[in-house]
Amino acid sequence: MSPLSIEARKDYWHGRFEAMASPCEVLVETGDRTLARSVIETVAREVWRIEQKFSRYRQDNIIHQINHADGKPVMLDEESARLIDFSDQLFQMSDGLFDITSGVLRKIWQFDGSDRVPEQDQIDALLKDIGWQRVCWEHPHLALAPGMQIDLGGIGKEYAVDRGLLLARSITDDSVLINLGGDLACTGARKIGGYWSVGRMISSHDQAVGLFRLIKGAIATSGDANRFLLKDGQRFSHILNPKTGWPIMHAPHTISVAAASCVEAGMFSTLALLQGAQAEEFLQLQQLEYWLD
Amino acid sequence: MQLKKISGQMSLAACALLQVASPVARAAAADNNWQVDSAVLLYSESDGRVSVFEPALQATRTINEDEQIDVSVVFDALTGATPNGAHATESTQTFTSASGNRSYTANPGETPLDSSFQDIRLAGSVNYRYNLDRLSRLTWGANLSGESDYLSLGGSVNFEQDINQRNTTLMAGLALSQDTLLPSGGVPCSLTAMPLASENEDDVFQSAGNSDDKLTTDLMFGVTQVLNRKTLFQANYSYSQSTGYLNDPSKIVSVIDPATGLPASSGFFNTALTRNLPYVYENRPDSRTRQSLYSKIVRYLNEDVIHLSYRYYRDDWDITSHTLDLKYRYQMEGDFLQPHVRLYQQSAASFKQHDLQLGRDVDAATGEVLVDYASNDYRLAESQTVTLGLKYGKLLAANQQFSMRAEWMQQTIQEPGVSESEKTPGLDAIIVQFNYSIKF
Amino acid sequence: MRILFLLSLLPFFSACSSLGVEPWERDLLARDSMQLVPDVMDNYFDEHIYFSKEASTGGQAVGGGGCGCN
Repeated sequence: MSPLSIEARKDYWHGRFEAMASPCEVLVETGDRTLARSVIETVAREVWRIEQKFSRYRQDNIIHQINHADGKPVMLDEESARLIDFSDQLFQMSDGLFDITSGVLRKIWQFDGSDRVPEQDQIDALLKDIGWQRVCWEHPHLALAPGMQIDLGGIGKEYAVDRGLLLARSITDDSVLINLGGDLACTGARKIGGYWSVGRMISSHDQAVGLFRLIKGAIATSGDANRFLLKDGQRFSHILNPKTGWPIMHAPHTISVAAASCVEAGMFSTLALLQGAQAEEFLQLQQLEYWLD
Repeated sequence: MQLKKISGQMSLAACALLQVASPVARAAAADNNWQVDSAVLLYSESDGRVSVFEPALQATRTINEDEQIDVSVVFDALTGATPNGAHATESTQTFTSASGNRSYTANPGETPLDSSFQDIRLAGSVNYRYNLDRLSRLTWGANLSGESDYLSLGGSVNFEQDINQRNTTLMAGLALSQDTLLPSGGVPCSLTAMPLASENEDDVFQSAGNSDDKLTTDLMFGVTQVLNRKTLFQANYSYSQSTGYLNDPSKIVSVIDPATGLPASSGFFNTALTRNLPYVYENRPDSRTRQSLYSKIVRYLNEDVIHLSYRYYRDDWDITSHTLDLKYRYQMEGDFLQPHVRLYQQSAASFKQHDLQLGRDVDAATGEVLVDYASNDYRLAESQTVTLGLKYGKLLAANQQFSMRAEWMQQTIQEPGVSESEKTPGLDAIIVQFNYSIKF
Repeated sequence: MRILFLLSLLPFFSACSSLGVEPWERDLLARDSMQLVPDVMDNYFDEHIYFSKEASTGGQAVGGGGCGCN
């Protein structure tokens, strides 16, 4: 378990830890150190719990069990079932563009800035293992065809932020902000100044390019300006279309969206990226606040 | 993927994932802990019969995501006159008010109206609702209503269980109510003579005591089903059992001498019990079992909403009724118009009797009433009610709403075989109501 | 023929599809105007008025309390 640090700032306590391969911050607007510590620790424990439970890199969790069931149905606990329900809804809302079975494409697409674009027959070979419509999901039983895999990485961070915030809210009425690698949410207006200022980054480990001012709700960012392939002058973004196995073209590099919850903000920014050149039009239609790069 | 607006769906999906009840409840949990509904009802019957002024207030407090409590208070001031059960005759009729210290008369051809009909009522109720788990809820309720001559105390419990991904809600409810009648002057002995004001001192009001009780048990089972995104359906079965004193202590029945067609003359008899016929206090069975089937459809129609309900009712007093209710909410920008139609039809109770005939229903020699039950209460007669109304509502601010409605109600009483001049007249009433509600 | 009939019923009993909507399709059903009893006060007064003028009562809910008006 990675360490957790807590520092006093002018009007708030600032907690830091690492989770989900990202730096994580928890800001608590209180003078009470004990309260702040309890909020920060609660949030950290929840984020770590979600990471362990749903990480695809572990062998001791439900995701591993589902991905290695060899065609047999797996009975899910309530929380996992809710995440699968949510993914199912996103699949339908996006007409199949958001698909948690598309992660296997990573085997051949590595967005390291190089020009290694895979061959069509490699893609075709993987496409037969992709497609949420082929999964049998009868709440709470999930059965994947052998060879298929699911990956909740596209939801996990945002879900962890919202969960952390719900727990924080049960401890204190003071304003709390959680920033998990650029996906952020806060519980309500600050007593001092009203809003939280958070650096705006276009890649999860870069310097901030601007400031978000958040009074209430959440902002999530999708896309990563540093993850792409470049071949014959053409830029391939790391957002893949699960139906074709190819990157979505002409999408903005990053999209940030503000919404009531981090899950909503995150899904809108992801779905917008999946619209490619129509990303902005899609966001305007939703009547949400957004930022493009 | 076609570009489409999905923010509403997304917000609901996120709520389901995070287990926060709904976007509405979530906003309420964050910002609106209170809702206050207030209303004033003005009800007025034509021909100077009953009029009612009734303000009501309800405060609902959302304690947290799992608990809600509401408290209501109602004040009810009623004045006017209502048919006492005796029917119009060719002669002047004189009656004593229930308390025995006032008398009133009905001119020839006039339906006798009890003008002492006035009361003030104060009622309150509390309901506490909480989640048993994510899919089931329990509501406990208590209510109290008091008038100078009536007291009602009740309690209820309601259980709701969501199944089928919250598309189906099963409901079971139980309510008990204990009512006490305290007529001023005492509870009259049923089927005994009503004393006449002008009579001599030998007149005795036959009292069965100062008060009497009735106990009502209600049971209900219901299902609410989401049919599709735009349609909701509800079906309820109710069973209700009342026992105890079910008479209306102020209602009487005329005793008619078939030879003259007029009320049997005073002093016609000499037995102590029935000395003062021609009017006897009504009598109803001491138990009543009611059953009803209620169904409702709520349908969204391009911003407008239709509410349509039908109730089939029957009881073991042989009353069967049908009720159809239709509301069409015509939605405009920030306001709405809602026409309302209600149609009601009921059959008569088995013991609904226009009058008692000497010789047939009353022993002409002893004055003994020979029937077990008799009532000429117009509410137990065959009748139809038609109500037409219009409601206007306006959103004053995001958290405040005002609405008002005006309705016209017409009730017709059917009394087969009764001559036109003796029939209980129908009823026209106007209902005006103002509502204001605020959330904070 | 009989098998066709049974097959046509299948969707109603399969766990994957049933009467109703998915959680994210509840936007319209969540509106105030789509509630079973959208106007609590109107409902209360109507029950009171018709209880005092007609023989029938009940059907929609239990509890709420009596009055001497009938």
